[in-house]
Amino acid sequence: MSNKTALKLKKPELLAPAGNLEKLKFAIHYGADAVYIGGKQFGLRSKAGNFSFEDMEEGVKFAKKYGAKVYVAANIIAHNENLEGAQSYFKKLYEIGISAVIIADPALITACRQAAPDLEIHISTQASITNWRTVQFWKNEGIPRVVLAREVSIKEVRQIKEKVDIELETFIHGAMCISYSGRCVLSNHMTSRDANRGGCAQSCRWKYDLYEDGVDESVNISEQNDEAYTMSSKDLSMVEHLPDLIDLGVDSLKIEGRMKSIHYVATVVNVYRKIIDSYVDNPKEFKMNQQWIDEIWKAAQRSLTTAFSYQEPTESDQLFGIPDRLPKYDFAGLVLAYDDRTKLATIQQRNSFKVGDEIEFFGPDFYHFKQTIQLIWDENDKPIEIAKHAMMMIKVKVDHPVNYYDMMRKGK
Amino acid sequence: MKYPELIVTARDIEEVKQLVNSGADAIRIGNQQYGLRVAGDFNLNEIEEATAYTHQHNRKIYVVTNAIFHNDSIDKLPNYLDCLLQIKIDGIICGDPSIFSILNDLNKSLAIHWNPETLATNHDTLAFWQSKGINRALLSNELGMDAVLEIKTKLEIPIEVQIHGMTCIFQSKRKLVTNYYNYINGTELMDMSQHSDKRLHLKQLKEPESNYPIFEDCNGTHVMSNEDLCMVDHIEPLINSGIDALRINGMMNSRKYNQRIVEIYRKAIDLCCEYPINYLSQIESMKREILEIQPVERILGTGFYFKEQIY
Repeated sequence: MSNKTALKLKKPELLAPAGNLEKLKFAIHYGADAVYIGGKQFGLRSKAGNFSFEDMEEGVKFAKKYGAKVYVAANIIAHNENLEGAQSYFKKLYEIGISAVIIADPALITACRQAAPDLEIHISTQASITNWRTVQFWKNEGIPRVVLAREVSIKEVRQIKEKVDIELETFIHGAMCISYSGRCVLSNHMTSRDANRGGCAQSCRWKYDLYEDGVDESVNISEQNDEAYTMSSKDLSMVEHLPDLIDLGVDSLKIEGRMKSIHYVATVVNVYRKIIDSYVDNPKEFKMNQQWIDEIWKAAQRSLTTAFSYQEPTESDQLFGIPDRLPKYDFAGLVLAYDDRTKLATIQQRNSFKVGDEIEFFGPDFYHFKQTIQLIWDENDKPIEIAKHAMMMIKVKVDHPVNYYDMMRKGK
Repeated sequence: MKYPELIVTARDIEEVKQLVNSGADAIRIGNQQYGLRVAGDFNLNEIEEATAYTHQHNRKIYVVTNAIFHNDSIDKLPNYLDCLLQIKIDGIICGDPSIFSILNDLNKSLAIHWNPETLATNHDTLAFWQSKGINRALLSNELGMDAVLEIKTKLEIPIEVQIHGMTCIFQSKRKLVTNYYNYINGTELMDMSQHSDKRLHLKQLKEPESNYPIFEDCNGTHVMSNEDLCMVDHIEPLINSGIDALRINGMMNSRKYNQRIVEIYRKAIDLCCEYPINYLSQIESMKREILEIQPVERILGTGFYFKEQIY
């Protein structure tokens, strides 16, 4: 955009996943403007921790202190028997102060509208919204925001933005369905687990043999080439391309991963927060910083791709053969307190670490430093060599000041 | 007893004629650019010819326009629909809400058979789409018999279900076959959509006998079910509850097979509606007849009609 200096860019919302209350707090503390969570019903991550109504209340209260919003994903494709209780569920969410619900199934839109007419509804990516007319349809239905399908390119997002005045939410980071989301029943057919109601067995990532069928016999191509057939996608990351999305006015940038760890959520949110702020505050001077990219890789669980953003994905956007080596880090400890006089940090152990380990502290606003663990004291101020018990409280001498919610990570 | 409509796919004009003569009440055809997983690609002239033929024989013709449309293709759809309207087809099969504004812009009405495939799984959802103007609901294949019957009792618009043939279980926009070949071949790039004659299937390694057909076209990559639905012995509850249309998917099967299958289901439906006792006594022989012509690599099953799902 040539006139970006003249035009004040709108800061998009940074939307992060929160699988449970603790993750919600970290996501928001590390800079998310909004988080999406799942309740005990109607959500697609039946194995994520998910929130009771009490947890939601506490989450909303916590978010309010930061001016952040909490959305609830209710994005199953419901069967008849799943509709029961939907109205009272949405009414309860509205009373709790949830800012919006993310819905894919029109039956749940109807239920939500009847029970809580003022509760905002966003259409989920599970509804496979891929063109401007469909977006216009939802706009006419009074929907303020749609989450676009992951198959929509940047160019198409721009066309949609130009044609329809509605909030657009797009994914910027995380794991992806390789099918059109919502259009895959591999899991149902292979394991009787319904993916559209939260039971996905990730059958697309399994290994298969591909056969070419001749008139008389079939040839096993996978065996011939000693390479299994698979349909696994690399994970999405727009870390190097956020300005493209911000320039065209995408309203909410979404990170996938309600099943991911606190370390993952904090790290990824921290990076995107930093990039969004750096770019919007001074687009003219903005330059990508290698440190931000390196940081993303510290949380990456698969190789990364920009998927459909710029071109149709090819074999290099899929996971074939031996996986690439990725940096692996453990969340070693959580800072609970810091004493400026003694330079001692009180830390809750999250993974084993010991004297001599190279570790890295990081906190919100991309605060970072590395050091070697010199001394560890246990709860009784007794020096120890290794912090090996989960959740044990220890003290560590730190080279720079740290704060509550800062995290300590260790290479594996 | 009300006769349900017997619908079957056709790959070309010749098959349209064959299947009309075998007893189909309606034929489902389409063009790949606008419709998903068509049995054969029909251009507008061929659609016109097929329409003329079916109408001469007092049968119906439905055209699939259920692609997952992106901006470029949705902008071509109004003109295509206008052409279909002039041909006077009997209905379109689609699953994208764009259709309502397009028909509105054209100021025309056309019977909309709603088929968002995996996304039509409960009565309230279909009631929502009914309020937007759909004229028929094609239910998801991943529903149990009880759910199908319950939806029928709660919905006013006609209900259609698939009763025979393969079903789609996966669609990606990506070229997942081409990508694999390119990966194993390294340098020699290929485009599978140029090899549409090539028949491929996947074997799930933990299921040694499995056979999931996979193919690529302009809509991406499609994986089809391991089994062919075969409900010839279970159509009675569907007919008794007033299900309005029963569909056979004949894609990838021989002409001879499709012809015979339509004849068998024609007989089954007629018996079930007219002489239910005779239907019951002939179930076994009809089932046996299907087994005799069934390709050896395609097992028969009842899909999700009698299967529990967990989640």
